Amino acid sequence: MKTVKLIVVGFGTIGKGTLEVLRMKHRDLLEKQGFDVRVAAVCEIDGSIVNDKGINIDSVLKAASSGKLKEHPDWKNAKSLEAIEVVDADIVLELTPGDIKTGEPGISHIKKALECGKHVVTSNKAPIALRFQELTGLAKKKGLKLRYEATVGGAIPIINLYRDNLEVNEVRSIYGILNGTSNYILTKMFEEDVSLQTALKEAQELGIAERDPSYDIDGTDTAVKLVILANSIMGKRISYKDINVRGIQEITTESLELAKKHGYVIKLVGDVNGMEVSPRLIPVNHPLNVSGTLNAIMLDMDIAGTLTLVGHGAGKIQTASSVLADVIDILKDMKEL
Amino acid sequence: MMKVDTVLKLKDVPGMLIKALEPISTHGGNIISVTHSRGEKGLVSVHVSFKVRDQSSLNLIRKALEKQGIHISEIEIEGRTYYTKKSLSFILLGHVIDTDIRDTLDRINDVGMVSGIEVVMPAPNQKSSVLMDVEIDEKSNGELIRLVERICKEKDFLLVRSL
Repeated sequence: MKTVKLIVVGFGTIGKGTLEVLRMKHRDLLEKQGFDVRVAAVCEIDGSIVNDKGINIDSVLKAASSGKLKEHPDWKNAKSLEAIEVVDADIVLELTPGDIKTGEPGISHIKKALECGKHVVTSNKAPIALRFQELTGLAKKKGLKLRYEATVGGAIPIINLYRDNLEVNEVRSIYGILNGTSNYILTKMFEEDVSLQTALKEAQELGIAERDPSYDIDGTDTAVKLVILANSIMGKRISYKDINVRGIQEITTESLELAKKHGYVIKLVGDVNGMEVSPRLIPVNHPLNVSGTLNAIMLDMDIAGTLTLVGHGAGKIQTASSVLADVIDILKDMKEL
Repeated sequence: MMKVDTVLKLKDVPGMLIKALEPISTHGGNIISVTHSRGEKGLVSVHVSFKVRDQSSLNLIRKALEKQGIHISEIEIEGRTYYTKKSLSFILLGHVIDTDIRDTLDRINDVGMVSGIEVVMPAPNQKSSVLMDVEIDEKSNGELIRLVERICKEKDFLLVRSL
């Protein structure tokens, strides 16, 4: 049995979900992978909880739920960059929400971790979309792993599936329904004949849409994920500004009605080949026609043909599935050493 | 009856020619001439001219040939190149009627043929939704999309096109 230590940077929805799953699966990881996975630090904006022997996950989650993280006995004023550097650990989980324009603080976290000889697993889209070449290059140079499955499609294992099982294929196209919020709104409008405003308000009440939903509605979030798919799976070197983006703001109930009458639905589609995000007509019986907050990704390949993956594109626990998949992937490599 | 000129690419093995001609006569084609030339290694280009009753008979012949793995590289009907037809549907969202819908249709008809149109106008000063089906030669698909995109930009429509 080996002990492996993690630093969790960012303690929002995904950070908490990841700790919950780590607690739930601790014994599994021990029995199946032979690793005692411990969390050496959890970093928030204003400080960190640090314990070299491994923090007590129960107590941290409890303190977080009552808003009393700072009263936790292991609370230190060390900020994330400092903690990444000084805390002894094997893997840094960078789970902060990214600023789509600057990529920070994610970019600095990832670079610091790699420079300090730590593997990185991230769910943060912005750094991967903005600095793909630089960050993957740095990881390679350092002989470390940088994994980012959770950045696209939540629990859908698209990036790892391609890398591990489909690399023999030339990918001719990728189409994706990559934003759960806009898909929920379009589904609601289509099925219940309500306006975009009504559907959005309901999504906000259910916690599906954020208070400022513009990145979801205007296509930005889908475009960022499209850039990651293009660069990581299709070997392109594109950035966000290369993508033509149209969101769903202008979609009316009448247009959805018209589509329905002719056997179509309207979905916000990321088209990797066309480098375009736009509302598209999809036949009702098409595999990409998924409802609610679901995501779907369809690959067209020269050997395997078409392949469609459908799953939860977001969610506290669901996204943690991809984060942990990346952690296990790194553990397997460490086992071989 | 219409005269059809085709070029078939056949494998250079005995019996292939008979196999290729059979579907033509089976579906009522009257063969006028067959000429062949050895070109690329392993493949023979065969020019076959025949008369056939109508487009649907020609489609049956094409399907039968394709089923046997015979590729038709060119088709001319009455001396004019024929391309596979394709149908493209899209919705235009905006002030589609008030921005000279006649002009929009004419320009699209220059590249393809609008075969279906349905308009929904919620109120006179609100944006309308217009669904169009356009028949088009497969080779002009890209040209049509570029044209429609140009019109949308010019007339401030949102284009929702099929995948």
